[in-house]
Amino acid sequence: MVNIRFENVTKYYGRKLAIKDLSFTVNEGEFFSILGPTGAGKSTILKMIAGIEPVSSGKIYFNDAVVNTLAPHERNVSMAFETYNLYSHFSVYENIAFPLRAPRWKLNLTKEEERKRVKEIASFLGIDSLLDRRPQALSGGQKQRVSLARALVRKPQVYLLDEPIAHLDAKLKFSTQTLLREFAVNYGSTIIYVTHDYKEALALSDRMIVLRRGKIDQLSTPDEIYFNPGLDFVGRLVGEPPMNLIDGELFEENGRSVFKAGSSFSIVLDKDRAQKADSVAHVENDRSMTRLGIRCEDIKLGLQKISDNSFQLPVYALVHEAESSVISFELENTFLHVRTSADSGFERVRSSDLLWLELNPARMFFYQKTMEISKS
Amino acid sequence: MSKVDCKNIWKIYQGNVIGVKDLSFTCNDKEFLAILGPSGGGKSSTLRMLAGLEEISKGEVYFDDIMVNQMGPSERNIALAFESYALYYRMNVYENIAFPLRARGINNADVDRNVTEIAEALNLTNILKKKPGELAGGHQQRVSLARALVRKPKLTLLDEPLSHMDQRIRAEIRAQIRRIHEEFGNTTIYVTHDQAEAISLCDKILIIYNAERQQLGTVDEIYNKPVNKFVAYFVGQPGMNFVQGNVEAKNMASIQTNEGKIKFTFTGEVDSKYIGAEVIIGVRPQQLKASPNKEQTSTIPSTVRIVEFQGDSEVITLELSDIGKTEAKLVIPAGGYRFKRGETCWLEFDPKFTHLFNNEEIAIIKR
Repeated sequence: MVNIRFENVTKYYGRKLAIKDLSFTVNEGEFFSILGPTGAGKSTILKMIAGIEPVSSGKIYFNDAVVNTLAPHERNVSMAFETYNLYSHFSVYENIAFPLRAPRWKLNLTKEEERKRVKEIASFLGIDSLLDRRPQALSGGQKQRVSLARALVRKPQVYLLDEPIAHLDAKLKFSTQTLLREFAVNYGSTIIYVTHDYKEALALSDRMIVLRRGKIDQLSTPDEIYFNPGLDFVGRLVGEPPMNLIDGELFEENGRSVFKAGSSFSIVLDKDRAQKADSVAHVENDRSMTRLGIRCEDIKLGLQKISDNSFQLPVYALVHEAESSVISFELENTFLHVRTSADSGFERVRSSDLLWLELNPARMFFYQKTMEISKS
Repeated sequence: MSKVDCKNIWKIYQGNVIGVKDLSFTCNDKEFLAILGPSGGGKSSTLRMLAGLEEISKGEVYFDDIMVNQMGPSERNIALAFESYALYYRMNVYENIAFPLRARGINNADVDRNVTEIAEALNLTNILKKKPGELAGGHQQRVSLARALVRKPKLTLLDEPLSHMDQRIRAEIRAQIRRIHEEFGNTTIYVTHDQAEAISLCDKILIIYNAERQQLGTVDEIYNKPVNKFVAYFVGQPGMNFVQGNVEAKNMASIQTNEGKIKFTFTGEVDSKYIGAEVIIGVRPQQLKASPNKEQTSTIPSTVRIVEFQGDSEVITLELSDIGKTEAKLVIPAGGYRFKRGETCWLEFDPKFTHLFNNEEIAIIKR
């Protein structure tokens, strides 16, 4: 087990900048996730740790040793690829056993020991009935679990897992995610995990980073990332529906601070909120503009006026979920989604009905605009 | 307006492979029906028979009481959108959407009005001049959807049209599709393997598994009154928890634990012939009551094994060590008590949300 440290790591592919001056530390025994959209540079980070891609500048440390010049096989890492990379002329058993047989690790397992290790990890992942098959005879989901088993069968210094459950169907993905969490808790190994699925990152990680265009937007615990997103982009990437982001104008009216977005969305901000909003505001056409962020579960709905600080909007649409409903409202350049519990009495609302909305001030965030939003 | 009636339809492929077995259902006018099930279960075969792309081996399909078995796809006045987009790559988005209208010789002014209307409803106005190749998968799927809807067909058939959408715009797309359905009011049948998608978009759900109809009902009926164990587990994420038990009385069941029998009542009742019988007790992870303290006599002890944070909720994997190492899932919305690994968690079944299944896995509580 090791800790892994990035020190001002930059990576170019030709002239294209993939990773920009990145510094962070993954602690020993930590489950550390890298979350980001496609093309953010997530896999590039893993490949640099594995030694498959050289860094352009900066240093990568395993404990206190720089590993920049070490070849992949000298780094003692174990990797699962999103693309499986299975050996098609080997059986599933041989694919999983492969890392155990590599002379490099000097494991010198007997046939029985090897069989025991392979069977153990295969049954843990629910693929023990497939051991005699060839990869060609497997579904995508089965191949992915074989690839994961091969990565987990050995005890390296660090596991590098790249979207290892992305291609499983919903139920299986969920149960395999639980198994991975269990694996991490039981073995306490350092695991670096790449995903574009925020739920996986939240469920599995001790800490995580949100990566955007080769730079870290936020490094924190899953709790902090969800309940206290540092940037508009983080709020938007994590949560479903994503955090509501509302661009509006900030102005004084009768000595009170007002945030207004369009003709109906208008709220008075208390002193703390007003200060925060002001600190991130920017001037656009002589108006002070700011971006309000609030999660869909932090807005209250009412058929009647809720308080002096509530306002009315027409319903755009209602969408059911198993245990709740999401009611959407249309604003100028975005939708506003609000989640209500199933027994809240809003089940019968129809498009264009008027509802009252009240935002929970304690759960309001104000952001600088670091991304464009639109009704996509 | 269009009503769809399937009467005892079968699809038998070469070599006596049964794709669809004796399926009957009705989709009423203006209804939004999901056909839901795991892949290979017969969903797509059903949809293809409705579309006329596949011969019906046995049985009859009626559109508004007119049998369509012998009609070709074009005679049925239906619109189709598939998982794969099948867009014309040399035409821009506008022309792709306009295509079904032009094919019917509709004049330019009407084409323009219809394309503009559907493009606005699906937020495609800004990309009408682009070619499909320049668009992301989610956008392409929406263009495909717009093309299906533009001619306001009697019946719209959708086969996994949202499978490639980015999670970040899913909430928007779902809202848009619901809105379009309310505005245009056409009958829509939607095939999907994604239970969350079916719940969010549709008024009714038909569940097909092993080529056979399992249940047809409203979202509420499917979720809260599943007719069998398969439906109970397939709908809902994570799936329903199951544990072995016995029926004690018409409205009472029990679970055998190391500490003795735990008895609890449920709302509704079972036939008296089941008294004493072994049953499977089911309860959803979202509908279990959980507490860190023992509160009533009927609570079941468990140990927290894994906690998975999901943002708006936590999913907890529990070990019921008193009941032969049974595993159970529990979902707690954010803001509730936060359990830690290793902690004891006391469970209680909510009488309203307890399900019983007999040895053929059929639900037996009458409510």
